[in-house]
Amino acid sequence: MNDMRIVERDVNTQKAKITARGVQVHYGTTHALKDVNVDILANTVTAFIGPSGCGKSTFLRCLNRMNDTVASARVSGEILIDGENIYDKRVDPVQLRAKVGMVFQKPNPFPKSIYDNVAYGPKIHGMTRNKAELDEIVEKALRKAALWNEAKDRLNSPGTGLSGGQQQRLCIARAIATAPEVLLMDEPCSALDPIATAQVEELIDELRASFSVVIVTHSMQQAARVSQRTAFFHLGNLVEYGETGTIFTNPSDPRTESYISGRIG
Amino acid sequence: MQTDPHILRAFDRDLHSVQALVVRMGALVEEAIGKAAQALHGRDDALANSVRREDAAIDALEEQINADCARLIALRQPNAGDLRTVLSVMKVASNLERCGDYAKNLGKRTTVLNQSAPIGGLSASVLRMAGAVQQQLHAALDAYIKRDADLAASVRARDSEIDQIYSALFREILTHMLEDPRTITGCMHLHFIAKNIERVGDHATGIAEQVIYLVTGALPADQRPKGDTTAFETGA
Ligand SMILES: Nc1ncnc2c1ncn2[C@@H]1O[C@H](COP(=O)(O)OP(=O)(O)O)[C@@H](O)[C@H]1O
Ligand SMILES: [Mg+2]
Repeated sequence: MNDMRIVERDVNTQKAKITARGVQVHYGTTHALKDVNVDILANTVTAFIGPSGCGKSTFLRCLNRMNDTVASARVSGEILIDGENIYDKRVDPVQLRAKVGMVFQKPNPFPKSIYDNVAYGPKIHGMTRNKAELDEIVEKALRKAALWNEAKDRLNSPGTGLSGGQQQRLCIARAIATAPEVLLMDEPCSALDPIATAQVEELIDELRASFSVVIVTHSMQQAARVSQRTAFFHLGNLVEYGETGTIFTNPSDPRTESYISGRIG
Repeated sequence: MQTDPHILRAFDRDLHSVQALVVRMGALVEEAIGKAAQALHGRDDALANSVRREDAAIDALEEQINADCARLIALRQPNAGDLRTVLSVMKVASNLERCGDYAKNLGKRTTVLNQSAPIGGLSASVLRMAGAVQQQLHAALDAYIKRDADLAASVRARDSEIDQIYSALFREILTHMLEDPRTITGCMHLHFIAKNIERVGDHATGIAEQVIYLVTGALPADQRPKGDTTAFETGA
């Protein structure tokens, strides 16, 4: 050990789950994303960081074709998941979004029971044949989201009656109930207190055993705590991508260093 | 390494103030080594005793630096170059604290040496070595203040010269003791003095290595050349 690098937290694989090649996004005349190339690893938490408006959410939304729903958005380039181009005509975006789940900044449970929030996805994707199977999926998802103990006695009460942190974990349970392979999270803790944040971070760390997790965060400390890879975006460019410990001790691009150390770059 | 100001200016003030403490500590240590060498040369008990007393100020500065760094890490959560700055401040302060101890020990042994007749020629060699080490320490601190990795690399390269002076001195001291056993006590003290000065040289090198880490993000990978062969000496 000569360079005092923070010991890299286990990344079990070098296998790329998502490959982006030459990805560009325009919203009308706004050039929001400029030639992004990156390999996002399987079973790894990847943090997207960068100043507001740099294109983090735009790129995240490319990964499950959420930009399809934005009328002015034009996406070009290639995004492969497990080697398959997700923008291929034969790919059904609804199926894709079951495989690539998403959790948003503000917890947004449906105005339904806790049970129905989680059961919704598996139901519409026809994942179960009967109530018993559905019960099982709901329980598994709630357990994975570390919400089972708090929710098991009130499955029929409304999801909106939970605390903010519990609601966010409910949304995570909802996202993972469809057995996705990739979980996208856009600032999932920005509305949470430190304890709920820690619980979600712990959950993210556990989820990486089963998924690729991509998290957009404005908290440098959160990116440092929770990810193994970090991508820094600036003005629509992916400026630097690398092992999180290296990015936070010795980034190679001065723009990255300015941003993560809170400087006027 | 980034040197643009932080958006939160209090962060810059914290980093500057802890580095200013290291600079002050460096100045005190340089002065202590200089005075200790002068006291040895002039057989000056009063000066030697003042070096012994003044080490407390150096220790106190190190404590303050450690406390300030702990606060800075807890309150500012430094990253990248800022993080390396804080880590290197702590290492450099610890190097300097050891140097202060060696200066104090030089003072102590000088007062003992002053109680017997001078040992011909030997203390001149020790003084020459002290001079070389003072230059090394000065250059290392200069490299630290200027963030000059090239200057730091040259400090590192020159450490073997001090090792060589020490090896030569070691043999000189041995010869003296063999020729005139009455000088053994004094020679032993002089040898410890020489060894301590050589250690100060090592700490100067340690500071230079921290400069390289601070500027480049990595410690130098190569082993630095060793000029001290006394570990293999068997005597006459
Ligand atoms: N739906 C949209 N319509 C038009 N412009 C948009 C839309 N969404 C994002 N943008 C623009 O694209 C750029 C990148 O935005 P975004 O991806 O939301 O950044 P970030 O998530 O990094 O804050 C910004 O200039 C933003 O104004
Ligand atoms: Mg966003």
